Amino acid sequence: MIRLSQERTKTLLAIHGWSAVFLGLLLYAVILTGVASVFATEIGDWSSPLSGKVEDPFPAGTDRMIRGLAATVDPEFHEELFFFPRAGGRLWAFFHKHETDEDGKPRERGVAAEFDPRTGAIIQRVEGTDEAIEARDEANALAHFMVDLHVRLHLPNPWGLLLTGILGLAMLVAAVTGFVVHRHLIRELFTLRRRGDRLLSARDTHVIAGTWNLPFAFILAFTGSYFSFGSAFAIPAMAMVAFGGDQEKMIETVVGHPPAVDETAAPMADLDAMIADARARSGAELSFVQVQHWGRADALVTVFPRYRDGELSTLSYVYGGADGMFRYAKPALGLTPSTGGALFDLMAPLHFGHFAGVWSKAVWFALGFASAYVTITGLLLWTTRRQAQRGWRHLAAATHATGYGLPLGLVLAGWAYFPARAAGADVHGAMMTVFLLTLALACVLAWRVTEFATARRALLGASGIALIGLPVVRMLCGGPTWPGAFDAGLHTIIAFDIGLVIGGACCLGTLRRAPHSAMQKTADSDALEEAAGV
Amino acid sequence: MQMVLIYTCAIFRIESAVSAAEPSPSAPSRRAFWSRVVLAGPVVFVCAALVMCGGALWLPKGAAQIDNLVVPIVLFPAIWAALFFYACLDRRLGRAWGVVGGLSVAHLALIATHLMTSGAAA
Repeated sequence: MIRLSQERTKTLLAIHGWSAVFLGLLLYAVILTGVASVFATEIGDWSSPLSGKVEDPFPAGTDRMIRGLAATVDPEFHEELFFFPRAGGRLWAFFHKHETDEDGKPRERGVAAEFDPRTGAIIQRVEGTDEAIEARDEANALAHFMVDLHVRLHLPNPWGLLLTGILGLAMLVAAVTGFVVHRHLIRELFTLRRRGDRLLSARDTHVIAGTWNLPFAFILAFTGSYFSFGSAFAIPAMAMVAFGGDQEKMIETVVGHPPAVDETAAPMADLDAMIADARARSGAELSFVQVQHWGRADALVTVFPRYRDGELSTLSYVYGGADGMFRYAKPALGLTPSTGGALFDLMAPLHFGHFAGVWSKAVWFALGFASAYVTITGLLLWTTRRQAQRGWRHLAAATHATGYGLPLGLVLAGWAYFPARAAGADVHGAMMTVFLLTLALACVLAWRVTEFATARRALLGASGIALIGLPVVRMLCGGPTWPGAFDAGLHTIIAFDIGLVIGGACCLGTLRRAPHSAMQKTADSDALEEAAGV
Repeated sequence: MQMVLIYTCAIFRIESAVSAAEPSPSAPSRRAFWSRVVLAGPVVFVCAALVMCGGALWLPKGAAQIDNLVVPIVLFPAIWAALFFYACLDRRLGRAWGVVGGLSVAHLALIATHLMTSGAAA
């Protein structure tokens, strides 16, 4: 039990509730799309599979694929190269140079290509800036839709990142104050009064989910606001102070290995050998390869492995590009281990939950879902108590429209993706149009009904049907059937389809129960919630 | 507009709670209310940003020569949260302004001195 004076508790309680109300709906949108984004890789594999399973995204022959592409690319784009696996196991390579846009912000311009690692054939080749290339990417479009909504709410940079950063701070405030104001923390972990008043039961469910989830909510909020603010203004501001505004110079310093300049032309050594060596040294699968100064004597190849089981950080392996010799292993930042590097290393696994494969992702998914539940039930409890007042009724309607309309919009974006892609239409535009239309319809429904329970039933029922129907839409638009996927070893597709059907069944099953008790305003609810502090 | 109203209500409630804790309870003054709104909102955010940037100039560089750059960025949410809670909870609003303002001015002076020095050297 945390002992606080009554006055301090009252203050923190006010901060806790109002921080959630102020940004709660946007925070819910960010958390819910974050839950989906945990499985962004799997969404890509599910929505855009190749005809068979890719056993190794960096197979023997990677060198031949990359070398072949390099020969067709303007040498000005040989300044830097990334290649890494993407949706369906495709190997994505991007030769590019660094430049600044009209506003002076750094960007990349070059040539990108998608390979089928099983055959070495180029599936797609595009040219332009990194942003333009991303906009033409169809294979990853569905996953990107979720991730982009999560990262910046589809708003232009840096405003979207700043907004999600502020949302992260609001969540941090709610988590810290939630921890402090729950005076009987241990007892509240296990208190659920099912036989009592329905509102009391709803409040207990909110508090139990929130209490169990507090450490996770704190971690997500902290790391999330770090990621948003880091790229939106922290790096530019820090570069302004320490490097006179040169962000490239700052990143070069922090990463720690600016190559000594030697522009002499030199053929690249065998990438396959370097990849095999990095695999042997790390004992893990690889995630990413970076080549600086392709075709020059000062070329450097850095290979980034995935996390080994049970580890939250990993070393990267640096090779001379011209001679293929191993140079050194280094942390992600700097050339030697450091406090800053260790803190930086922790941020990504703690936010993305990808440090132990699909199992840690499943835990992050469940905890993230609980966070979304806590956010929306907290808002429902808060607005229900005040819905008799006109202003609060609007917030209650918005809470219903967002709470139940957003999941439906996300699922229907998937419904738009498959037909649009099959028809050769603009998948990004189709997904966004359907998503916004769904939200608009949800708003109309929530504001026009006399009982919010009606809107809840309609939106939840539609979500259930949409989830169950999504695998059917995928198959009707040319995706593999279950027998076909099983034969091709594409088990992710079957597992994902089953997950969607179970999710849909859960939505429909929820409809069979009485409306959420949070929405049943009772005579003594005010007194109850005052006592509960909701 | 609705969001602005809600934010205003939020700070008003917080200010009411803080005011209620003072020895002689009275209705929160409008002036104190707006003062805490400004302090806990934009001023604290700017102060946290200045502390983060200024940290690059006084934090030790560490073994890899990067700690002064990386640690303030990674810990920015913690810097902001500490300042925010302090600004909300300090019963003496004037002292809160003094601490947050002092931190901001000190770091602003440090950054300005550094920029002028490096500009002159260039």
